Amino acid sequence: MRREVVTDTERRRAGRTTVAIVLILLCIPALIAVNLFFMRDRGYYPTALAIVGLSLIPFFLLYERRKPMARELVLVASLIAIAVVSRAAFFMLPQVKPLAAVIIIAGVSLGVEAGFITGALAAFVSNFIFGQGPWTPWQMFALGLIGFLAGVLFRAGRLPAKRAPLAIFGGMAVLILYGPIVDTAAFLIFPQGLSWHTAALVYLSGLPFNIIHAVSTVAFLLIFAPFMIEKLDRVKRKFGL
Amino acid sequence: MKRTDAFSTYHPIIGFLYFAFVILETAFFLHPVLLVISFASAMAYSIYLNGRRAVRFNLLMVLPLMLLAAVINPAFNHEGVTILGYIRDNPITLESILYGVAAAAMIGAVIIWFSCYNAVMTSDKFIYLFGRIIPSLSLILSMALRFIPAYKAQIVRIADAQRGIGRDISSGKLSARARSGLSILSVMVTWALESAIETADSMKARGYGLRGRTAYALYRFDGRDRLLLAFMVCGFALLLFAGGVRILSVQYFPAFSVNDTGFGVCLFYVVHAVICNIPLAADIREDFIWRSLRSKA
Repeated sequence: MRREVVTDTERRRAGRTTVAIVLILLCIPALIAVNLFFMRDRGYYPTALAIVGLSLIPFFLLYERRKPMARELVLVASLIAIAVVSRAAFFMLPQVKPLAAVIIIAGVSLGVEAGFITGALAAFVSNFIFGQGPWTPWQMFALGLIGFLAGVLFRAGRLPAKRAPLAIFGGMAVLILYGPIVDTAAFLIFPQGLSWHTAALVYLSGLPFNIIHAVSTVAFLLIFAPFMIEKLDRVKRKFGL
Repeated sequence: MKRTDAFSTYHPIIGFLYFAFVILETAFFLHPVLLVISFASAMAYSIYLNGRRAVRFNLLMVLPLMLLAAVINPAFNHEGVTILGYIRDNPITLESILYGVAAAAMIGAVIIWFSCYNAVMTSDKFIYLFGRIIPSLSLILSMALRFIPAYKAQIVRIADAQRGIGRDISSGKLSARARSGLSILSVMVTWALESAIETADSMKARGYGLRGRTAYALYRFDGRDRLLLAFMVCGFALLLFAGGVRILSVQYFPAFSVNDTGFGVCLFYVVHAVICNIPLAADIREDFIWRSLRSKA
């Protein structure tokens, strides 16, 4: 019985993934071509922004297509709100942001798709409070990716839902994925400063901030991961999700 | 005090298209005249919208970023033919300084336009616009936005209750305070997750997800919106045309050259200026109508 359910969702996911791959494979090269042939030395930022935005769309459409249950929607919304409220609580300390930690927990407990959605929408919602800007799609993409990866690795059995592995994953994800992705936005915003010099400058000056962010994520996961996952598991068991 | 903004009263699709176009256009043309117009218009509108708060934001947040952008380019980009001098064997060129200034104006204008977007396009408008295309996600969005103040209020309530049983986070040893803080968080998370499930069950009981249910629509697309949309689309089309035929061309490297005179170019300056000032014009029109109505009465 359980096996059948799994294979059915597997098959549906495979179908949906094809749509996503087609979309990404067609649109992104087209955008790069438009940039190369029509914009020459400018428009890097709009093009990069469009590519990042486009790569979010398949995930959103797939989630919509699945018609998620009300319970899952509300759980995701409540995790997003927990993430945003906890960011607001540490508002005074720059870069001490618990968002990534909450999103990793969401990815591990609620699965790949819910992890991505929690990440992407948490970035979007928190920017309703802290201000939307050209950085929003990049943050959405980076946090969504972290939730996605946490879910994928957990399902593959590579990321046990224990304190230490989660903390290590969280630190690495922030330092290697989130930081550089968001720094790339800062780098591309200087229109023609695209040189190795500016790249080195932007990434190096971002490094201290990313290290603080990574360390705080590790700390949040060490302190909160076990009890958050326990609570989510309890809710899942109690209500049969 | 926040002033009433007439542009915000138009249909959400108008605001969304407007800001999307203006921000992309500002980021795309690096033409100095267009940048100056866009920057000044964004500044004026942000001050109209947010008053003193906008002045503070523009001075404290945007200006430093712009200075950084203006300095970084000549310091690291040594292209260009007009060498002004050398700093530690690296040439400082006029072109890279001009380019840095243009980049700074572009970044500043985009960020100020975004601050206007934040004031005009409130979350409810966004959710209204995307509610049909991405219904589940906009439901998540609107619920998450509503949960945030609810959770903040609930944390205060839990903290009060915990104080009543002797777990006060504002007094005692640090370790005890930290433990009380953690127990407040623990109660909070449990309450949030349980009440989420309750909300979901209540939604299901009221028929969420059944066919044939309609959504409450707060906004109506009326004649005023149609007129402004047609006007905006004409302006956008003209500017897209200008981008296509490269009449507003500007070149920074190797030597600075800009196509900034001639009848056609001036015409596009006017179109650009009109587009950038649509929101302010809507506000001024509204003020004018209001005043003339009052004087008649």
